[in-house]
Amino acid sequence: MTSQPILRLRNVVKTFGSFTALPGVNLDIEEGEFFTIVGPSGSGKSTLIRLLVGMDEVTEGEIWLRDRRIDQTPANQRPTCMVFQSLALFPHMSVGQNVEFPLKLRKVPAEKRRDRALELLDLLRLPQSYYSKRISQCSGGERQRVALARALAFDPEILFFDEPLSALDYRLRKTLEKELKDLHSRTGKTFVYITHSLEEAMVMSDRIAIMNKGHFEQIAVADEIYGRPVNRFVAEFMGEVNLFDVTGTDGGGLSGAGLESHMNGHAETCGVAMAPGATGTLMVRPEYVRFLASSDTADFTLRGILHGEYALGSRIQYEVETLGGQVITVEKLREDRVDRQPGAEVVLGFDGDHVHLIRGQ
Amino acid sequence: MKTSQTTRIALYVYGVAIIVFLYLPLVSVGFASISKARYLSFPIRHYSTKWYAEALRSDTVSDLLFTSLKVAVIVTLVSMVVAFFGALAFARYQWRFCSLFQKLILLPIFFPQTVLGLALLMWFNSVGVIPSWKTAVVAHLVWIAPIATLIVAIRAYSFDPALEEAARDMGASTVTILREVTLPLLMPGLVSAGLFAFLLSWGNFPLSLFTTGADSTLPEWLYAKMVSGYSPLVPTLGVMSVVGSFALILLAMSIGWLVRSVREARAG
Repeated sequence: MTSQPILRLRNVVKTFGSFTALPGVNLDIEEGEFFTIVGPSGSGKSTLIRLLVGMDEVTEGEIWLRDRRIDQTPANQRPTCMVFQSLALFPHMSVGQNVEFPLKLRKVPAEKRRDRALELLDLLRLPQSYYSKRISQCSGGERQRVALARALAFDPEILFFDEPLSALDYRLRKTLEKELKDLHSRTGKTFVYITHSLEEAMVMSDRIAIMNKGHFEQIAVADEIYGRPVNRFVAEFMGEVNLFDVTGTDGGGLSGAGLESHMNGHAETCGVAMAPGATGTLMVRPEYVRFLASSDTADFTLRGILHGEYALGSRIQYEVETLGGQVITVEKLREDRVDRQPGAEVVLGFDGDHVHLIRGQ
Repeated sequence: MKTSQTTRIALYVYGVAIIVFLYLPLVSVGFASISKARYLSFPIRHYSTKWYAEALRSDTVSDLLFTSLKVAVIVTLVSMVVAFFGALAFARYQWRFCSLFQKLILLPIFFPQTVLGLALLMWFNSVGVIPSWKTAVVAHLVWIAPIATLIVAIRAYSFDPALEEAARDMGASTVTILREVTLPLLMPGLVSAGLFAFLLSWGNFPLSLFTTGADSTLPEWLYAKMVSGYSPLVPTLGVMSVVGSFALILLAMSIGWLVRSVREARAG
């Protein structure tokens, strides 16, 4: 991905009356990548995608598709296409007519349209008999595939997705996430996906942008965002997390929130060395926290009372309240279940390799 | 919930009472129309279809039917066009005076029709238009177009705006979107609006009475004959009018059914 980005946003501003939805967004999306924008509702991600496909006009700023400026181009003249949250399949047309719609607009002859539609049904693993089905006869998952086939029939330069999986049940969503990722690698197209679900983003994306209040908090690959968030918002948004307010101590270590540090000098190699008096937030994900037996050691230890135990399917989640009143979340695989009763006093530990320090917050 | 025996019986009695109440008068008109006698009296002694034959022969009757039909058809067509665009303005687009428009357009429905008819007549007079069946068309439209708009608007509310956006996104122009997406989706609403418009115009008396001038529609004539100069032609035409409306509804329904099955056959 060294070539020119396929999509560039330069200082894009969108206001509605006196409300500023996007104060000035800059973004580069690379050719062929699966790029996901994740954010809570009201973060401006839907506003942004509407600008990108041309449903709304930018207030200020520029959108470039390769070397063509497109922010003033109406939606029906942009070579991009979107899969809507509601899918927006035409209920008065059959599956085939839906898929052929963009081709019909381009005056492709009927026979060619049909061939292409059947080809796309194949690609989306829908039986050819679906060609003549009505949309109302299709299940939720099948409708997703029809919507995708229709968007692919358009043959867009960039395919946009506005939370198309949000209305489906868990199992189907999981299946379709994988299919979508698979489809992305088979078609080689640039996918830009919007969701509020971190899981969806993690499963499918090459890169993830975390959006909050109209700007990007962090744009990076999934592992980076999960393991090395730039701030508390990203850390908390990307799933369960334990955060500790810490201060640098004289010996190059850190302390705070009831943590005992036993780093013994390798704070440097773990990237958590702090200047004396500096403040920061130490992050550790629940799966890296261990229950320590009296003989065990760890880089950081912490005492608390075991509060509750919750089964999350394949994993068990524990809540431990520290002496300072902070609730720590611990997750273990079911096979590593810990034999301790609620109310028991426990010692928790985690290692420097698994923590991440957010400085200055 | 299981309905008890008494509830069920009560429901049957209620249902039958409603049907009797609604349809018995119609049946008696039907009987009156096939009586041979000049005046209405029960029981009917001699049955005859002579009044039907007379109706079909009479020039007055064909003039009446033609005037009523002319008015109703024009009102229907204009209402459907107005309702289509009105409903889009009503339900699909957000614009500055939308909520004012929504209220204003409904207002004529709430005016008593006699007042509306009188008001329109005075207005026609003051602008120097001589009342005829054409002014009746305008009068009917003032009352019927809002109703038709409302019927289409209900349909317009129920469809996803994203459908139009999706069509645009895939390259459709505004005209193409109207033709390929909006119109087909609003079609069921438009058909019902058209039916309503026709039937409301066909049966309308108060507005016609004030605004047709020298022309006369069927309901006006029926009333005039009832008041003076009754003949069994009155119930005869009444029955013909009801049968005609009924046939129209059947026709519309079968066209709908035909369109659906053709579409399905084509898709299959």
